[in-house]
Amino acid sequence: MDYFLTIIILVSLFIILAASFDLIIGYCGLISIAHPIFYAIGAYTSAMLAKEAGVPVPVAMLIGALAALVSSIVVALPSLRVSGDYLLIASIGFQLGLIELAKHFHEIGGAGGLTNIPPFLIREVGREAYALLVVVVALLTVWFVRWMATGPYGRMMSALRDDELAFSMLGRNAIWVKVSVFAIGSGIAGFAGALYAHYFRFIEPDQFGLLASSAVLTMVVVGGMRTTWGPVLGAIVLQTLPQAITFFGLPPSVLGPLQGIMFTGLVLVFMFLRPQGLIAASDLWRGRQEGARHD
Amino acid sequence: MTDVLKIRDLNKSFGGIVVANNIDLDLRAGRVLGLIGPNGAGKTSLFNLVTGVVKPDSGSITLNGDAIDALPIYQRARRGLARTWQNLRLFPSLSVLDNVLLGPRDYPGEKLQSLIFDARGVARRQAENTEKAHRVLQRTGLGAVAHSRVQDIPYGQQKLVGVARALMNDARCLLLDEPMAGVEGQAYAAIQRVVRDIAESGVAVCVVEHNVAFVRDLCDEGVFMFAGKVLARGSVTELIADPRLTELYFGT
Repeated sequence: MDYFLTIIILVSLFIILAASFDLIIGYCGLISIAHPIFYAIGAYTSAMLAKEAGVPVPVAMLIGALAALVSSIVVALPSLRVSGDYLLIASIGFQLGLIELAKHFHEIGGAGGLTNIPPFLIREVGREAYALLVVVVALLTVWFVRWMATGPYGRMMSALRDDELAFSMLGRNAIWVKVSVFAIGSGIAGFAGALYAHYFRFIEPDQFGLLASSAVLTMVVVGGMRTTWGPVLGAIVLQTLPQAITFFGLPPSVLGPLQGIMFTGLVLVFMFLRPQGLIAASDLWRGRQEGARHD
Repeated sequence: MTDVLKIRDLNKSFGGIVVANNIDLDLRAGRVLGLIGPNGAGKTSLFNLVTGVVKPDSGSITLNGDAIDALPIYQRARRGLARTWQNLRLFPSLSVLDNVLLGPRDYPGEKLQSLIFDARGVARRQAENTEKAHRVLQRTGLGAVAHSRVQDIPYGQQKLVGVARALMNDARCLLLDEPMAGVEGQAYAAIQRVVRDIAESGVAVCVVEHNVAFVRDLCDEGVFMFAGKVLARGSVTELIADPRLTELYFGT
């Protein structure tokens, strides 16, 4: 039973990551793959606050999300002011740099990882309650991304993706839209990280690296960018498939690389056979207030 | 007659290529000014300098008396400067109506906090804007294609979408970059009528156009540009008749 609850929690966490990443890369068209570093910032901040400062876990989690949000602005603002392409470089540099820094920073566990993170809900109520919490946050995230994408912001994000210069000439502040979407998506990832930390109670720098980036990217691409259920489907398929292989009893030395090959392999297969992903997005934006149109 | 846009001593060069050479130009409320000159004269570059797409080397630009030189593009637009583009630059993933709905100076919901704390206000203003957008689409003859995707409608109508999008701004100054290139038939007459209407409502309009008949029929005045310089200003008929300018234009 615990195993299945853990799978549900992992799948839900990746739904949160994939849906919030879709907001950034899919809807807003911001090219960055450093999403897991904001997941890490949320996880480490919340874990350290709860463990070392005795901050109540729910408060620590919210501060963790806030820390991810603020640090994402610090990364995005200078690079997006120059050009969209710099975001990819700046964010990867930030991701890899911070991971290296964390490995040499013994106060937060160094390369060996941070252990004994205070648990939340599990002892008092049970694992089921924690699983329910994570599932609810995942559903809220999916709903929120849909709400953003089909409202006034959705129209702006579509236009911004199509033509930033024409968008600016209409009086729209492109940098503000990009930075705010990047910050919101990253803040949500930070909250997911905090949820991870207080369940598994152990985090290490390497789990937030490029392999995690490729996993989240694969989920969005395979599931279907700019769709409500694409990232959900992608997260379910790509989180359960690697689990399924573990039942074959392969040695860990084979299992790790096999999972990595699976992610990249799937992206390649999909790029050739179904570039739009399992669920295809409409190429024409539709707002949610269809009924309110006067015609 | 009031000057809406004032350009003084504007200079810009890219390496050795001078696109603006001491340009002085005023755009007046309610008047249509035609910018004519051969390709490479600096007409579109002038639009890019005025709108902030390109930063000038020196000189000043004021809109309604306020200096706008240092402002980013979107803030110039919010002060009432609108333009269309030679190569359209519409948003293909949006319908005609949604393209136009992005045009108002103040877009409801652009501030995230208003989406959350003033959802009703945003919805109300959004509904007002939708009504206004439908009026603008009717005025530009695009009412029937409001829900079409922009790439599915004829090229002439696509040009009108650009104009309609700019109209949502209630601009004080409108810059039209080759509104007639590739346009014929009904759309031609529609653009001509709409531009005339806009000017009569008190907007300062500036048109870059190679179609001499259009410029002559529509513009109150013309400016002849060559190599980044304003060579002459006067009635379009006079400018066209000037053999010196014709020679520069056709390079004969």
